[in-house]
Amino acid sequence: MNDPDVIVVGAGADGPAAAWKLATDHGLDVLILEAGAWHGNKNWPKPHADAGGTVSTDPADLDGKLLDEQFTHREADANDPTWGYLRVGPADHSRAPWFRNLHQNAFIWQISAVGGTSLHYFANHPRAYPYAIDTQDHWPISYEELVPYYQLNEEMTSTQQAPMTGKEEVFIEGATNAGYPLIESKNVTETGWRPQANAVEVPGRETSNGQPLDADYEGSFSYDDGFRGDTLVGDHFQGSSTPVDAPVRDKARKSSNVSYVPPALDTNNDPTMGNVAIRPNAYVTNIETTGGPGSIEASGVTFRDSWSGQTQTVGADTVVLAGGCIESPRLWLNSGLPDDGWVGKGLTTHWFDWVVGVYDDETVAEINPEGEHMDPYIGQNSAVRFDKPGVGGMEDIGMSPGLVSYADYLFSQAGYSFDTPVDPDEPWDTRGYVVGEELKRRMSDYRQTKALLILTDDLPRQDNGVSLDNTFSDEHGAVPKIKWSPHPDDDAKRDELCRIAARIHKEAGAEHVHRCDWPPLLLHMQSSMRMGKVLDANAEAKNVDRLFVADHSALANGLGGPNPTNTGQALALRTADKIASLYF
Amino acid sequence: MDRNSSVTRRTVMKGIGGIAALSMSNATIADAQAALTDPLPSDPHTADTYRAIVDAIIPRTPQLEAELGPEHVPGGLDAELEKFLIWDFNHFQEIRSEMVTEKLDGSGVGMPRAMFEFSLDTGGLLSSDLDAVLDLADLSLLDLLDLGLDADALEDYLTFGAVESFDVSFADLDTEREGVAEFELTVEADGEVYHQVLQNYPYAPVFTLAFDLVAAEFLATGQNHEPPAANEKFPGGGTFTRLAPQDRLRCLWTIVDGGVLDALDDLLSPMIPDVGILKFVVMAVNGLHGFGYYTEWSGYGSTKTATPNDRVMEVSEGEVQSRQQTDYPGPAPGYAANWRHAVPGGFKDPKAKNLNLPDDLAGDDVIDGLGGDN
Repeated sequence: MNDPDVIVVGAGADGPAAAWKLATDHGLDVLILEAGAWHGNKNWPKPHADAGGTVSTDPADLDGKLLDEQFTHREADANDPTWGYLRVGPADHSRAPWFRNLHQNAFIWQISAVGGTSLHYFANHPRAYPYAIDTQDHWPISYEELVPYYQLNEEMTSTQQAPMTGKEEVFIEGATNAGYPLIESKNVTETGWRPQANAVEVPGRETSNGQPLDADYEGSFSYDDGFRGDTLVGDHFQGSSTPVDAPVRDKARKSSNVSYVPPALDTNNDPTMGNVAIRPNAYVTNIETTGGPGSIEASGVTFRDSWSGQTQTVGADTVVLAGGCIESPRLWLNSGLPDDGWVGKGLTTHWFDWVVGVYDDETVAEINPEGEHMDPYIGQNSAVRFDKPGVGGMEDIGMSPGLVSYADYLFSQAGYSFDTPVDPDEPWDTRGYVVGEELKRRMSDYRQTKALLILTDDLPRQDNGVSLDNTFSDEHGAVPKIKWSPHPDDDAKRDELCRIAARIHKEAGAEHVHRCDWPPLLLHMQSSMRMGKVLDANAEAKNVDRLFVADHSALANGLGGPNPTNTGQALALRTADKIASLYF
Repeated sequence: MDRNSSVTRRTVMKGIGGIAALSMSNATIADAQAALTDPLPSDPHTADTYRAIVDAIIPRTPQLEAELGPEHVPGGLDAELEKFLIWDFNHFQEIRSEMVTEKLDGSGVGMPRAMFEFSLDTGGLLSSDLDAVLDLADLSLLDLLDLGLDADALEDYLTFGAVESFDVSFADLDTEREGVAEFELTVEADGEVYHQVLQNYPYAPVFTLAFDLVAAEFLATGQNHEPPAANEKFPGGGTFTRLAPQDRLRCLWTIVDGGVLDALDDLLSPMIPDVGILKFVVMAVNGLHGFGYYTEWSGYGSTKTATPNDRVMEVSEGEVQSRQQTDYPGPAPGYAANWRHAVPGGFKDPKAKNLNLPDDLAGDDVIDGLGGDN
């Protein structure tokens, strides 16, 4: 595509949603440039070993069996930040990841690829709390304005209530005993628990032998044998390409390479619509502009092919940044665009924590008479949640053991548990890193262990965010320097949520409760290019015309705590409509 | 030190240390062959430092056998987890030739060459390892006083163990050519020369020097709970490996929480291109035990430190040591399990115009007075 109407920088969770709407509803031609690899596309049969093709526009290029081959579902294979197939770095796996300068005990968890960080998400797709949109004063638009876009996005992503399996039943027991009611609304304005709204199809929508998917099911899970829908595997963080053999668009969990990329490419076969082309391995290094000070406008981008090193400039009528909360401001700053003090700033990350419950066999057997263990690898990774608008929320989580050992016992800001006293007034038994014999003991209970992820309603602060590093640079310019630290107010909310989490564990009968006291985990990143500061109410840059942002960095705050994917995509769909009405 | 050995350039590290080592030892041809094919020819100081960390975090636990079973006895060293840490740190950051400049001020986006090159010479018996660090940092003992450091204590405690010299330099750097710069790492230890060519900055061995220096400051400030002692399990290691297992972890923690980087900044700066990242490294040192030990990584067997595309599972995933310890069978295409929906019929979801949200959107007890920067 040599003359696109719109260039979208980044094919993560949100860029493909914007591109799909621009082409489908507004007849516009869209070129998406993605820095990372493309998995499950015939033009790149070995995406980490070979340069492969250049661009893909044909939905027939998508190949679900190729995706199955590439996503092994093994943990280190998938998630190792240095060499996993889900990392931030060039597609070429003989090369190191892209460097970010971080002077903290902290971890940044993102993915560069078509699908972006949605490739490893749990598919939790709740809406923002109305409180965070309508009364926290950050947002220039109302919750009501977002609702129709939520509804469209939930339809596109098969979003529905998650299934309850063994671990969820234990959570429900705890939450109910603690006195919390079931919430039966997507628009949450009160405290309680509810099934997650997950972007995953219903379990066993159709099975290979026509029998229901339950403990007695003995059929195949292969799409070729007739299985449709979710297969209850808890390895979504490894990429999740189930049901095996399914075409990409029929994989049960709807990361954006599944939910939005196929219909975006379908536009090329419909003469009434615009066209969408996606080029992976294309790292955008500069936003081109015309005009002088005061009235500059975006006119295109320059990108660098990560295999050949060749650079190319493409013009367009509008440019949409969708590279994520780190890369969008980095690109802005490396392009020398005006910075009024908020570019890259105001980063929120839900100031996570992690409260672990270990249960004994009898307790779990009483709650789940049909199962001996909770088996955290069975069922969706996170299928039930707790909400407390104004403070935050929490999620019940089960994962495979490598991720569990990291998250439960090897990631802390409290030091080692052997030196970390526990306040007797607090409801947890231990705190901090767990190592040595104790670590092995705890991991031997893996199948009776689950954790609650705390999601704090942390608010935007100008001190937190992304700037250009003055020490290191790579082939794309100065690397990003990242800084995030909590405000005491955010700590207070997090502590309250951890106490509730410990109480829920204990009310369910946990024999041991451990608070990890996580350091910053930059996973739910939001608001580093936020509306109301860098962007106006249309998500257009205040200081650069024809330049829009359609990724989670455009969110005006952290949504109160709920996972940002649904809102990021809903806002991207709205931004696509605004782009069309303003410029086409 | 053999600086003229014929170096075969490869995009992955290659064990050529064996050739140089042969001339100085009585190694057999078989030993030399093994050295040539070892994908991770770490010098003994580097290997033993990471082995000491692994052994502190996931030790052998014979005491668990009676209670939990024999599969709970082996530790991280039985899975060679130190190789996982070394591989990851050595693949941590790529440096591009065209971004390197001979200028010292690093003006523009160029990075000064000197940031990535240093040579530490411990000077043999007549000199102390602290002298070598002071030489490198261009500081005197008096300067240490100004920095608030106890020079005598540091001198007593600091040792780089088997290391006699340590040199990191670019291999044939050509800043006119775009591409990945290669580094030469030459470590002389116990009379043998270990020489590697790597395509990334060799952080793994460099960090071990920093850990020894931090350990010396840890001891000098009396933060250890047990006295240090030479450790026969890690004979190539330095001060860090002489700490008791829990003290090793306490020592690492002083990097995150304890101001040790501020105190040692002038001494560490010549070795670490940006000292602040050591805090991130401590996160990784701990966390990588999860990504390595408790995943299927050790099941890659002889290919576990190959480049990712060349790694092959050599045992079934349920057979991996840590998988047996957790009773996790490995990934499956699906599970037959009982499930239900918690909300029969699904969530209520009116159209936007019929929303009727309540006046109090936060429900009950919001913590008062909290706000961000609006």
